[in-house]
Amino acid sequence: MITEVTFPVMSTDDPAAEGVVGTWFVNHGEQVREGQVIAEVQVDKVDQEVEAPVAGTMYQYVAEGVAIAQGAPLARIDS
Amino acid sequence: MTTTETPTRRITTAKAMAEAIGLEMQADPDVFVMGEDVGAYGGIFGSTTDLFAEFGPERVMDTPISETGFIGAGIGAAVEGLRPVVELMFVDFYGVCMDQISNHMAKIHYESGGAVKVPMVLMAATGGGYSDAAQHSQCLWGTFAHLPGMKVVVPSNPYDAKGLMASAIRDDNPVIYLFHKGAQGLVWMEKNQRSIAHVPEEAFTVPIGEAAVAREGTDVTIVTLSLSVQHSLDVAEQLEGEGISVEVVDLRSLVPLDRQTVLESVAKTGRLLVVDEDYKSFGVSGEIAAIVAETDPTMLKKPVSRLAVPDVPIPYARSLEYGILPTREKISAAVKDLVS
Repeated sequence: MITEVTFPVMSTDDPAAEGVVGTWFVNHGEQVREGQVIAEVQVDKVDQEVEAPVAGTMYQYVAEGVAIAQGAPLARIDS
Repeated sequence: MTTTETPTRRITTAKAMAEAIGLEMQADPDVFVMGEDVGAYGGIFGSTTDLFAEFGPERVMDTPISETGFIGAGIGAAVEGLRPVVELMFVDFYGVCMDQISNHMAKIHYESGGAVKVPMVLMAATGGGYSDAAQHSQCLWGTFAHLPGMKVVVPSNPYDAKGLMASAIRDDNPVIYLFHKGAQGLVWMEKNQRSIAHVPEEAFTVPIGEAAVAREGTDVTIVTLSLSVQHSLDVAEQLEGEGISVEVVDLRSLVPLDRQTVLESVAKTGRLLVVDEDYKSFGVSGEIAAIVAETDPTMLKKPVSRLAVPDVPIPYARSLEYGILPTREKISAAVKDLVS
């Protein structure tokens, strides 16, 4: 099963604001457990942790520092 | 899909500090935290992240902007048997509270003939590299290490940050815990991947007073600490490709200082570069050089080389600031000078 992890919608005032992944804590193709923090993301200097919704193998869609829309797919977990 | 690979849990240095404090707070009701913005904010450099939510305002206390007041309160609490972890937001602010630190926190045990203990941790953010100018960019670990009565620890990575924090909190002596902002793994700072690493979830300690050989080598020894360890490891990796084998000694503690590890490494390589983001004169780099000179200067094939901040205030302008900081480029050049 494939589960997509999306960039959290952090700015309700400005949903069009783009964010970035500040830090990936899990490398491309690594195993994750459910609830593990996989990334720290940022929108307008506010940051938030993103957890893996399921266990499995995680594949990153974006590199650190690349602008991405809130709500857009961030990673995939194959389980 | 079948796999036996275990997920790797990586955290930042900042998270590692907070995690260590949280575990000690769970284990010992006498441990508490106070300082400026250590509560809901989680420390402006992340050192107390999430502790307020777990332990509440009675054990994670935001204080007024009076370093003399709250460090003095911490000393009083420690004298009465609690184990405070107090944050001085920027080490640069030591000027307004140094009487409390140097004359009281550090000397009560001595002046009471050992009858009164001060089991307190004073942590502070250090270092530059992000244009915060002369009053918010200093390291100053040499200053604290120079004055008697305090242990001084200076972690360079998440694992040591967690283990040294646990040791500092459990120690019955006052411990100064200096963390470099640029090694915290914060998303809003220039970040080295070495600031994000696997750290065991459970509590563990790293002993105070033991240096670590962060990388083994045979041609040159770099003795360094804090963020400069990360830079030195980067340089060592790069120079390996050029046929230069660099050993990196991470001091981790300044007081007590692990002289043996420094001497063993220099005896092996015969060449010593000390890299220190603190001021050059009267500081760590001179102390390390003196240890070698006092023990056996004949172990050196070349005179000791020191790369430290020249004795000027840290500039605000990025170009000037990087002109005086011990960058990778300068470390690399200094190593090459030693082997030429």
